[in-house]
Formats: sequence, structure tokens, C-alpha cells
Amino acid sequence: MRRVPLAPRPNWQADVERLGFAFHTLDGETYWDESVAYAFTLEEIERDLEAPTDAIEQLCFAFIEKAIDDDEVLTRLAIPAAQWDLIRESWRRGDRNLYGRLDLAYDGKGPAKLLEYNADTPTALFESAVVQWDWLEQAMARGALRPDCDQFNALHERLIAAFAQLRQPSPYRLHLACVQDSNEDKGTVDYMLDCAVQAGLDARFTYIEEIGLLSDGRFCDGANQPIETLFKLYPWEWLFREGYAANLATARCQFVEPPWKALLSNKGLLAFLWEMEPGHPNLLPTFFEGDPRCASLSQRRVRKPLYSREGANVTLTERGQVLDSDDGPYGAEGFVLQDAALNLFQADGHYAVLGSWLVASQACGLCLREDVSPITRNTSRFVPHYIEG
Amino acid sequence: MKRSTQIGLAAAGLLLVASYWGRTGSQDQSEESLVYANLAECRAGGQLTSPQCEQRFREASANHLRDAKKFTSTSACEAEYGSGSCQSAVWNGASVVVPALAGFMLARSLAQGGGAAQPLLPPTRQACPPGSPAQECQQARSSSSSGGGYGGGRSSSSRAYSTTSGAALVARSGSSPGVATTTTTSRGGFGLTARSYFSSSSS
Repeated sequence: MRRVPLAPRPNWQADVERLGFAFHTLDGETYWDESVAYAFTLEEIERDLEAPTDAIEQLCFAFIEKAIDDDEVLTRLAIPAAQWDLIRESWRRGDRNLYGRLDLAYDGKGPAKLLEYNADTPTALFESAVVQWDWLEQAMARGALRPDCDQFNALHERLIAAFAQLRQPSPYRLHLACVQDSNEDKGTVDYMLDCAVQAGLDARFTYIEEIGLLSDGRFCDGANQPIETLFKLYPWEWLFREGYAANLATARCQFVEPPWKALLSNKGLLAFLWEMEPGHPNLLPTFFEGDPRCASLSQRRVRKPLYSREGANVTLTERGQVLDSDDGPYGAEGFVLQDAALNLFQADGHYAVLGSWLVASQACGLCLREDVSPITRNTSRFVPHYIEG
Repeated sequence: MKRSTQIGLAAAGLLLVASYWGRTGSQDQSEESLVYANLAECRAGGQLTSPQCEQRFREASANHLRDAKKFTSTSACEAEYGSGSCQSAVWNGASVVVPALAGFMLARSLAQGGGAAQPLLPPTRQACPPGSPAQECQQARSSSSSGGGYGGGRSSSSRAYSTTSGAALVARSGSSPGVATTTTTSRGGFGLTARSYFSSSSS
């Protein structure tokens, strides 16, 4: 694994905009950053990232099997009791999941360590699947990189295949929804919709805020079309607590991600995985705050809210002293404490966190976010990667 | 290969096809040539059996006349597709001129069983102006009868086409209706939390 400075394409903005990538710059700051790329060997990708990602997913399934009927676990995960049956039924029915992203610490020198699992509403998907793919093709075509390079990135193909198989019979009608006023979320959902159409589906967009309730108990879109299958780029922990929470179970709607993903998109998962497999090479010691076993953690540790996105409310401490933190609205449901990863990639004053993509529970792609601080935030820059030829 | 073999983006009107160079010294020699200029190239590629190539070529040929843009004169067709790129045909009993079949493409990766083969047309004059020095244009304008293209020499590694829907393509190689009668009783039961948070609802 190497950090490789590269000259950006002279007209890189136009080059990425032609793909429909509208949020390469966020709040005036560069988000898509091709002045640097990360190079991996094929062995690093397959042995250190792909295989552990698949292994962690299997571990997560084993956890769900144990936890799904355990009221105590669901309580610790701060999942409202009124939603337990919805979650349990989605798991027993075998509702399929579409995608997720493991955030990993990895520096090329040892096993990757799981920082967290974005199992419910991961973004950075379009730039991972398409923009960095096209960047590599162009870099090889103009001779900036050897023509036999590759990339761990079958996301586009896998997404199309997975959309076709989420529901039977297929093709089916799929609604895709996100919140208003977020270019990044809308860009992600627009891309998802494109993939769904290529999978042959009748795919329609609606904003989360437009969703309504029909007299027969089903949800509907802004045009009053009933929603039978809903891809929602909107977290379960919010849906569970909002106005239509009581209608989720009676709406006869298949959700993507399915409700059982709520057990994974929760930092409490990290504590339960460590409890199941203490010493697992790809896990970091993690406990719920207040657990006496926290005393066994290293002095350099990270405090994470059960529900948190984009690094919000995460605090890195050493011997009780705050080294880095990010403000935010989360934390009411509790925290976990996790050993700080010692293998976060660091070079030239930059930290990199790896995002390992799963589609239909199979590892199939990689993305990297870079920042000058060890906590990845929503402003961290997206940098492309390649596999050396 | 660990990346997608092609990426279609309807919103951007783009179809991108991955380049492929054999990884020398690697076991991974499974060539994923999805684009062939002709039957001979398909057979030479060794990815499909000869009968499979013939079937793919038949599919593409059968769809060619149906999907290609029809012109009433050779000059009108050549104005769009370039000199020597068009042929006469009979479509529904009428004489028409269409851009010639320049190749065919498998819509999905072979591993997934493949979809029907799509016909490919010569690049448009817009994509490859006359005299363009671009390698993919020169390859496209030269005779495709050599069969050298994708299975063959590494020098001839890139060729321009257009799809029947008009998208430019560069192949590199070595490479329910029925709404029940219901009424909406309410709206806006989701989304409130997002409004009370400054940060994103995604991660």
C-alpha cells in the first residue's frame, strides 16, 4: 500500500462532471481529490481486505442469529421495543439486503481492523463505483499509470445484479427515496435509480418527506402511487421514531435496507462482535461505556455514540485527554469505547480510512477517504485507488 | 479483473467499456473481450465457442436493421457516420440506408451468462471527424477484416464505435401498474429527524 501523488487531469472537473458527478466540491472544498491515489498489490486487496470483509459479514450474520430473539441485546442497541417484531420478521423472511460499507484501518502491514459498519445508509457509492473507475481508465489510457493496472471495484455490475434479485418476482416496482436538500444523498440515489433501471425495474424517485399513507395502510409516493418496495437512504433509527413508525409493520412494504440491518448499523455491534470473538485479528477491543471491562482498553481510545454518522460526536482520547473530536447531535442513546486503531494509514501528514464495499453481502469494492485528522468526517476527501500492474 | 467490465449511465448518455491488458506472469488470463468487430475476431478471441460466436453474431445482425437509424440516402447517412460507413437495406418493404454493422457487444459479463448481443455501428462523424489522428478512430475507419483486433496484437488496442442509441463507445482491449382505488390520508410522516439534525442522514 502506497500513497502516490499524481498530477490531476488538467480539466478534471469537466472530466468528472461528464459522468454526472455533481458534488466533486462540497462547501467550496475539494471532495474528489485526484492529486493523490493509493496503490495496492493484488495480494493486499484479496488477502487483507476482500477476505476479511466477507469474514466480518459472516460474523455479523452469526451475531444477528444470536441477538434477534434476545430482548436484552435489542435494548442495549437502543432499538424501540415496538419495532422488534418488524426486525425479527424481516430476518426470518430472509429479506435481502443491497449494500453496506465496512470502514477499516489498514496500513499494508498487518490485518485490517474494523472501525465501524455503515450497514444501512452508506454513501460515497457513485464516486466509488463510477468516478474512480473512469479515473483509472483515463489514467491508463493517457499513460499516467501502467496499462495493466486494475481496481477493486465491481460495484456497478454487482449493484445491477443485486437489484434484480432483491424481490421476487422480478422485475418489480421500486421506489427510491432520500431527504430533500442534500446534493450528496440525491446524487447517490440518482445513481442507484440508474442501476435499478438497468436491472429492468420500474424505478421511481420520491423524497422521504413526500411519502404519504394510503387509506389501505400502504405508503405512497408524491403522486399517490403505492410503494411496494422502498429503497430509503434514511436511517432506520430515525424511521423507528418518526410519525409513521407505527405504520412500518402494516404497510406491506419491502424495505431496502431491510429492518434487520438496524442491528448492524449501530456502534453497539462492535462491542457485541468483540464479545463473540475476542482477539479476532480484524476486530478492535470494544465495550459499552460503563462496562467494567473498559478498564482493559488501551489508554488511547475512541468514544463513539451508538448512532452516529460522518464522524459526528466521535472523540479520540489518550489518558483521558481529548486529542481530536467532532461535534454533532448524537449520543443520547449511549456510547461505546474502542481501542484506537494503531494501523491507521498515515503519510505526509494525511490519514486514510478504507471503505470496503459489500453488495448483497459480498465484498466487491474499495474506496478511501483522506483527512488531516484521524477522524473521518463528511468533509474528508475521496481519493481513488488502483491495483498495481 | 477485479473491476466492472463496463459502466452504462443512462442519465449521462454514456457507455464506458473497460480496457483489458493481460496481466503478464499472472494466472488471471481470462480475457473479457466484450466487443468484437466481426465473427472471425470472436472466434479468435477464444472466449466463446465457434457456435456461440455465430449465435451472438446472428443476434446482433438481427437487431442491427431494427435498431439502426434509417436514412433515405447514402449521403445523409454518411454525413452522420462518415464516408464508407453506410449500406443499403430493405426495411418493411422500403429502401433505406443504414450505418453498417461494425461490431457487436455482449451486454453483460460472460460470467453472468450474458445478455443478447448488441449491434455496434461505426463512430459518428462527431466522435471521429475525418482525418482524426485518434487511434480508436483510425482503427474504426480501417478495414476490420484483419481479425487482428482484440485477441491479436497489442498495438491495435482501441477502436471507436457508436451504439444504436447514439452513444459513443471506445472499446479498449488487449481488453406495476394498477393503482388500487385508495386515497391518501396523510403525508409527511417521515423526514422530521433530518430537519432537526445539521449533519447528513447518510454515511
